[in-house]
Amino acid sequence: MSVTYIDAIREAQEVLLRDDPRVFLYGQDIAVFGGAFKATKGLAEMFPGRVFDAPISEDAMIGMAIGAALQGMRPIIEMQFADFSSVAFNQIVNHAATHFYRTGMPVPITVRLPSGGTAGSGPFHSQSMEAIYAHYPGVVVVTPATVADAYSMLIESVHLDDPVIFCEHKFLYRWLKAQSFQGDGLPIGQARITRTGRHATVVTYSAMVHEAVRAAERLQKESGWEIEVVDLRSVKPLDIDTVLASVARTGRLLALGEAFPWGGVTAEVVSRVVADGFHLLEAPPMRLNSRDTPVPYHPKLWASHRPTPESICDSLRKLLSY
Amino acid sequence: MPRVAIVMPQLGESIAEATIVRMMVAVGHKVTTDQEVIEVETNKATMGVTALCSGVVEELRCEEGVSYTVGTILGVLEVSEEEVIRTGVDTLESLEIRRLHEEKIESTAAGEQNLHFAVEAESYEEKVPELMPTIRGLAVPAGTMGAHYISPRMRARMDEMGLREADLSAVVGTGAGGRVTVDDLEKFLDYIQTWPSSTASPMRLAVADAMRRSWTRPLATVGTSVVLDKLLQHRREQEKKPGLTLYLLRAFALALKEQPAVAGFLIGAKVVHPRSFDIGVAVAVEDGVLVPVIRQVDAKLLSELVKEYDDLVDRARRRRLTEADTKGGIATVTNFGTFGLTWGTPIPLPNETLILGIGAGVKKPVWSEELSAFVPATEADLELTFDHRVVDGGGAGLLLRRIVELLQKPESL
Amino acid sequence: MTEHEGRQTQRTGTEYVRAMYVAMIQARILENKLSSLYKAGKIVGGVYLGKGQEAVSAALGAALIPGQDIYAPLIRDQAGRTAFGEPFIDCARAYLGSSWGPMRGRDGNVHRGTPKEGVLAMISHLGSAVAVVSGSLFAKRLKGELDGVVGATCVGDGATSTGAFHEGLNFAAVEKLPLVLVVTNNQFAYSTPTSRQYACADLVDRAVGYGVTGHSVDGTDFLACAAVIGDAVSRARAGEGPQMVVARLLRLSGHGEHDDAWYVPEVIKAGNYGRDCIDVAESQLLVHGIMSREEIDAIREQAAVDVQAAVAQAQQEPAPDPYKEVWHAWSTGRFYAEKE
Repeated sequence: MSVTYIDAIREAQEVLLRDDPRVFLYGQDIAVFGGAFKATKGLAEMFPGRVFDAPISEDAMIGMAIGAALQGMRPIIEMQFADFSSVAFNQIVNHAATHFYRTGMPVPITVRLPSGGTAGSGPFHSQSMEAIYAHYPGVVVVTPATVADAYSMLIESVHLDDPVIFCEHKFLYRWLKAQSFQGDGLPIGQARITRTGRHATVVTYSAMVHEAVRAAERLQKESGWEIEVVDLRSVKPLDIDTVLASVARTGRLLALGEAFPWGGVTAEVVSRVVADGFHLLEAPPMRLNSRDTPVPYHPKLWASHRPTPESICDSLRKLLSY
Repeated sequence: MPRVAIVMPQLGESIAEATIVRMMVAVGHKVTTDQEVIEVETNKATMGVTALCSGVVEELRCEEGVSYTVGTILGVLEVSEEEVIRTGVDTLESLEIRRLHEEKIESTAAGEQNLHFAVEAESYEEKVPELMPTIRGLAVPAGTMGAHYISPRMRARMDEMGLREADLSAVVGTGAGGRVTVDDLEKFLDYIQTWPSSTASPMRLAVADAMRRSWTRPLATVGTSVVLDKLLQHRREQEKKPGLTLYLLRAFALALKEQPAVAGFLIGAKVVHPRSFDIGVAVAVEDGVLVPVIRQVDAKLLSELVKEYDDLVDRARRRRLTEADTKGGIATVTNFGTFGLTWGTPIPLPNETLILGIGAGVKKPVWSEELSAFVPATEADLELTFDHRVVDGGGAGLLLRRIVELLQKPESL
Repeated sequence: MTEHEGRQTQRTGTEYVRAMYVAMIQARILENKLSSLYKAGKIVGGVYLGKGQEAVSAALGAALIPGQDIYAPLIRDQAGRTAFGEPFIDCARAYLGSSWGPMRGRDGNVHRGTPKEGVLAMISHLGSAVAVVSGSLFAKRLKGELDGVVGATCVGDGATSTGAFHEGLNFAAVEKLPLVLVVTNNQFAYSTPTSRQYACADLVDRAVGYGVTGHSVDGTDFLACAAVIGDAVSRARAGEGPQMVVARLLRLSGHGEHDDAWYVPEVIKAGNYGRDCIDVAESQLLVHGIMSREEIDAIREQAAVDVQAAVAQAQQEPAPDPYKEVWHAWSTGRFYAEKE
């Protein structure tokens, strides 16, 4: 029997609703309809009075979550697409993220953002917003790449007292399968070495982990290069120690991400490695992101907008030849 | 009597100063808590500065029509002890003590103290910072180890200046683990500025580069002596007198033809063998050396080589060699005897494994087996320097011995 | 106040208006002191006063039940805060930068709150509190604790233009929550007159659009505020859904103390809404025999003494120490990096 990434998210919410009376779900079309991606399928029936349909009011959705959290609840808010969370930006970064710092009372909300592109989804259904939220102090930003991580990290996110932005990747929803939800139980804040190697390190997260592994296998077959892939798992807090240990072994770094090129997670990784691991570097650290345009609609354009195994291999070849 | 300040407030987020419009009190006046005492104007509004507590105006330190920065003390009130306790205000004295622990206070040009900020004498815009070149005094990352570590930045600097690691040999490293920092390099360059210098010619730089590259290999030299009399006799009998170097060239080529592996060139795990016995001749030119190459020395007789040899040497001296003239040699011959030197340790070209050198012929007593006596003969030292990765002493020795044998039969050359 | 099944009940009648008046006077004296401290250079950052709004604010604050209701005061709600039970020392500490205040120096002035006691700490983005108060009420309903509880917040005429206001009120209406939303229409949002802020004839007309009950009141009329706002709070408490009260008045100070409101036309200042609600309150209380002159004077004097004492105390308290601060915004300790 195999389970998908979206199954993991659904199952985690079921477990949370079952085991913790403080949890409730709030989002557009999530009750009877089960959610635009069926992430909450059947949950409204299983848990009456715990799963609610929201009006199209992202600002109010987060505002109400904050108010509910202040009353001791643990709401999970589903944004229909990550792209729409920008309407709630103020409530997330100015209200939820600052509340503990300002008042000493934490706001334990979890905001699920279906993130990342799929062919034909276009500029407003494809964004990766982890860097925007990670920029603000007080937020936890989580980017699971595996079925087991989607399951365990969602449960852990709801248990955390800090506001969590849970960036789940839409492409992985049905494409990624596993034998079960059980994984190695790594906590939020720790990265994982997905594939070991000797010649270069690729640091990445979410769907790009899989593209990186594909690229690594291609390079190994082609010319014997052994590429190490590090899955950050959570973007904030960032496990830079695991990254540095990897670069200490390989001396070469490629920071890879699907988000836009200006700033962001890849820039953060490179800057920290250069600052703390300068003497480890054999070659200038590289970054590979999407192109510096909005995410295009046409599948041919989209396929070349984000990093692919080909473009990752190209970057790695350049890195290895320095 | 305790003294309490009347202070210029911050009347708006971006406000840095305000202008005094009207003094509403004078020295000696009694004021009450919250009474407006000085009217000021900002670019947003006009309002009154208030007294923090009741007291008597002891001093006014401002003038109408003048602007003062936020935090400037505009006046001083004399206040009773009871009033201080009742209102909880800071007196000038208690503020002084607190500030000394917390921050430095700088006096303005007018000698006033500012309670909010340290105020500079001149306004901020007038101070133009002196731009320091960033390459000086570059800090070394504490974690860097090893004297051989050249940082990315150091490399860039070296590239900029056309330097190689060999050029750093004279520079003492003060960096972590003894490495040479950019700062060390700059200091060294500054230092040698004070010495007389000249610019190296392109010829000089070319030779320097070739020798530097050659020297990255483990080179060894072996030598023997050769009696030249038979050769000299042969030469006297020729019409066109071939130079000593030419005899050496022929002997070298023929010996190599018998044992071509000795001239092999090593790349990784591959030994590249000569495909044509083209041998170069070192020609001294101004400020350097040129090495024209004679093609197929094994296939041409001595007499046939004279013209080619003379022409190449002549053109070399006149700096008229083409790239084709100097490319593709498999070994080189050098005659430093022409300078009067008896022995030397020549360095092969960077793309060759062997160089054969001969010193000046010297009259010496040499043992003759036949006559069982020492007889006078002209003897010269013959050295072969080789890349020890490809050739060992034994192989070099065999080659040299063969060359000596061939030189005793000049008629076969 | 009487206990009723563990739930306290709302103040009414004489008790209610007396509580209102005391809070108004205390707030006015406290804010005059803040203004004076600001002009003496003792306060850094903005000072926003509720001068002219005391009747509206106190009417709401005095109708709410501390420890039970949820209150999100905005920038001109000192009277409401005081009526709801905020001690003067909290206000003094927040403005004078004492590290012992509720925000410990990390936020200041009107951005203070004590969420554990049901007073939300506002953020500067107007309208954003509506959804938060509503969310707290929503949660109380899920926990079965909503009976007899009210959540209240205030906005100005300007805030009704924000998307956050719209989304929050719509949500409260859809969920039929006991929200009391007081809109103080003081004719100006900073320098912007209402003719540039909205196109409907009267803000209360929007209530119908949202599906909530609308009320109008003259914000300068002390007794009218008590009647209308007290009633709105009772209705919400009784389960009649969100109540929107639009109170018309005039800001009697600048937008902040750095502003002298030169843009407010004299004719408006001289009109009905330019009246000082405290003067109106006093004359109404005296006329109706609710309070005597002596009582009023005694309240004023005591307020002045208490305000002065709080201010004096706060000024002597220590400022936050940057070297002792915990410079992290997470509550999850294990996320802090061991080395900076």
